[in-house]
Amino acid sequence: MSYQTSNPLVGETEFALEGPWATYWIAFLRVVTGWWFFHAGVTKIIENGFAFTYGPSYMKGMTGTALGGIPVWMGNNLAWLIEPGVPLFETLIGLALIAGAFTRLAAFGGVIFMVLFWVGNAGFGHGVVNSDLMGLFLFMTVIVLAAGRYYGLDALLEQTALVKQNPKLRYLLG
Amino acid sequence: MTDTIDKAARALSAGLMLFGIVVLGLVETFTGKPFAPAPITNEAGEVTAMPLISPEIRTGFVLAGLVVLGLYAAYRFVAPLPEDRGVSHETMAD
Repeated sequence: MSYQTSNPLVGETEFALEGPWATYWIAFLRVVTGWWFFHAGVTKIIENGFAFTYGPSYMKGMTGTALGGIPVWMGNNLAWLIEPGVPLFETLIGLALIAGAFTRLAAFGGVIFMVLFWVGNAGFGHGVVNSDLMGLFLFMTVIVLAAGRYYGLDALLEQTALVKQNPKLRYLLG
Repeated sequence: MTDTIDKAARALSAGLMLFGIVVLGLVETFTGKPFAPAPITNEAGEVTAMPLISPEIRTGFVLAGLVVLGLYAAYRFVAPLPEDRGVSHETMAD
């Protein structure tokens, strides 16, 4: 419960994060978000292996964005990483979210992808709030709520001696 | 009784939705093209491959899961949880 006398818009706030309905929904969102990326990655692997040549050319076309020259530079110089990395990391991010293992680390990777999709696709015909941004916020939600702790393997990983001795690892798990 | 209904609503709704999205998605993905529930067409617009599982079936499972949650919400409207039950205090994720 939080109560801020300085802010009349914030009264008593109760958020049943550990309540069964909240955990159920957080875990559900995590799994569906994971499936979304797993499907995107594994179908690329099935079709073209680890040679996703569209990736570098997509980034080369990201001119005039808020990211400046970074994506274009990456497209020109990091094709060796992007071509195998897109299908591989999409698949791994998806699997991690489905299993709830290394969830925050994986979701951070998802944020990187979604930033590039949101800015690169530039589908702003109906405003900047579009499905790419919503996908980006889904990954952010997974990170903020430590979604891997609910019906996920991170709940077990965080009980290991290694994590207890290095509690900062929880920023990569959870 | 209340716990049973709550658990049943959660299990059934999540089960239906995840079946439609993930389980049937796995079947669709690993049985060959198309990998998504949409027909593949050639440049002439002719359909060259149809999805194994109709999108009506997959979306139907997801909608059924949402209906379960809606029915649960309606049930809770007429049979609310006790005031002091089911709500706990905020725990910050760290």
